[in-house]
Amino acid sequence: MAEVVFKDIVKSFGSFTAVHGLNLTIAEGEFVSLLGPSGCGKTTTLRMLAGLDFPTSGSISIGNRVVNDVAPGERDIAMVFQSYALYPHMTVYDNIAYPLKKRGVRKADRAPMVQKTADLLQLTELLRRKPRQLSGGQQQRVALGRALVRDPKVFLLDEPLSNLDAKLRGYMRVELVELHRRLGRTMVYVTHDQLEAMTMSDRIAVMEGGKLQQFAPPNEVYREPANRFVAGFIGTPAMNLIDGTLANEAGAWRFASPGITLTCPPLTDDAVSGPACLGVRPEDVLLGEGPIRGQVQVVEQTGHENIVVVKIADGIRLTGRAGADHVWRPGETIQCAVDVSKAHVFAAGPSGQRLNRPLTKDQPRLAKEGA
Amino acid sequence: MSTVRRTPLERQYALIGSLLIAPTVLIFCAVIVYPLVSAVYLSLFQVFTPTLEGSWVGLENYRTLLGKNEFWSSLWTNIVWTVGTLTLQIICGVGMALVLHQNIWFRSIARSLILFPYFVSTVVAVLVWKWVFNDLYGILNHLMIVAGLIDFPVDYLGSMPNAMISVILVGAWKYFPFVVIAVLARLQTIPDALYEAARIDGAGPIASFWDVTLPQLREVLVVIIMLRAIWDFKEFDLIYLLTGGGPVTSTQTLPLLVYKEAFKLNQMGMASAYAVVMMAIMLVFMVIYIRRTRSEDDT
Repeated sequence: MAEVVFKDIVKSFGSFTAVHGLNLTIAEGEFVSLLGPSGCGKTTTLRMLAGLDFPTSGSISIGNRVVNDVAPGERDIAMVFQSYALYPHMTVYDNIAYPLKKRGVRKADRAPMVQKTADLLQLTELLRRKPRQLSGGQQQRVALGRALVRDPKVFLLDEPLSNLDAKLRGYMRVELVELHRRLGRTMVYVTHDQLEAMTMSDRIAVMEGGKLQQFAPPNEVYREPANRFVAGFIGTPAMNLIDGTLANEAGAWRFASPGITLTCPPLTDDAVSGPACLGVRPEDVLLGEGPIRGQVQVVEQTGHENIVVVKIADGIRLTGRAGADHVWRPGETIQCAVDVSKAHVFAAGPSGQRLNRPLTKDQPRLAKEGA
Repeated sequence: MSTVRRTPLERQYALIGSLLIAPTVLIFCAVIVYPLVSAVYLSLFQVFTPTLEGSWVGLENYRTLLGKNEFWSSLWTNIVWTVGTLTLQIICGVGMALVLHQNIWFRSIARSLILFPYFVSTVVAVLVWKWVFNDLYGILNHLMIVAGLIDFPVDYLGSMPNAMISVILVGAWKYFPFVVIAVLARLQTIPDALYEAARIDGAGPIASFWDVTLPQLREVLVVIIMLRAIWDFKEFDLIYLLTGGGPVTSTQTLPLLVYKEAFKLNQMGMASAYAVVMMAIMLVFMVIYIRRTRSEDDT
């Protein structure tokens, strides 16, 4: 069993609290990403799991064993650092063999284990080289090899792809997912890159301000963000978040803000009349027809689509996706609509809770609506 | 064979560059090249120091010095002093740098205080140490008698091997801060991630030192050892002020011998020959140092 459990974890540095009462259970064999902006506490959480930092209070368990007082080398974990942290004076072979050496594995037994790991990561030709003679991608694979060689219970990966170029990052994402599938080990992956988290993880733990905002599979984090922060953080281009007012009119919730008024999707009992926020993904904004009238401000051409920013009122803009074949011109007047069935309503405030009722498979699609 | 034609702009840049480095080259020639050539020239004469007049003797001075016991014994003393004090400087310097690299509460003040021996004037330092070592009223003898370690005062500077040990200890005390600073500067550039990776790989503090710290210090230690070896080899004032080369000539190193020949025996030609031989010995260290720094630049 290599279930990882964080229970009521608090981590303070003097008067600054980096992690506030974190409760998180990572199942055995799961690939979990800790995702959030800089300073959200994700790396601190990973370092506490690694034993490099100690929680101020709470407990961390790996495989039913509380490891708060266990040295990093005895936790049966392996970590890949953002900088790779390869020993510069050692060859690739010695780097990979080092954890085995420190655990007293005999020299004769180390060789086949290193060889097997090198074969797995296609490092065989590089075993005699020093880290400085390797490319970024090769160094990254050596760091992975050093983590893999002794088959730990849990792999910790601290932004391991952030130093690679975009093409290599894409390649390594696939490699890591494939590796996880093959090994079936628990992996905890820290990243601020939502694309990495979305494409690789079984579940994503979104953190902000030292607090866990949502812990759910990628699809759910995207489709049903727990609050306004998660909604705004996940998705590129970001979700349109429009502040306005919520009012109950004869049993139906209506949202209104300058330039846009619509009937809300079904909301929970937590919904109250007053300030609220409407969230609409750019792909749920229909451009070219509909009741909302606006003016095209910016058009970003990405090749396969155009991202169009439309001003619908003073200080209120809607971003929508359009096919690459229709190029909108800045300044052009445009009609648009939003797909209300996929719209989100959040309580007021920067971390306002999502007020929509949970989606069901058979939820009917509502008609597009607008001002 | 193709010739590279320079553009007018390149020629202009080259001219400006030459003009900018010209003052440095001139000063270098005046204070380094001229004395060097002058020393070699003087070593070929028998020169009376007060008048700087003498006669051409060719390589006779070199033949004489190679046949003199005093030269060889001074060279041996020089090697003992250099190796002894350098070893202590490195051990104490690296040790102290490791301590000061830790997150201890008095780190800032300790880092400043540690420089004190290096900055204090040699004359002042020697006066203090002579007082400490004095066999009549020295505090060291007093403390050792009080502690019951000795029954009678020890003559630290007037007998062997005490005098050499004392000189080596004072030399190490005076110059180990240089090692501390250089090593500390290097220690601060070793990424924490390397230590953290070693901890996760199962290395304890001692294994981390051998497997992470020491390999990272190797390059800087080679440079420190080379520089300090050169500087210690030609050390004059500290030894001269502490023992004057005595008892008799027991702590007389080559620089003291050069001084004696030049200003006590008034044999400037002979003294120059000693100095040239010293320079030749130090050239070995210099060549290693230059090769080392060049290979670092290449990587």
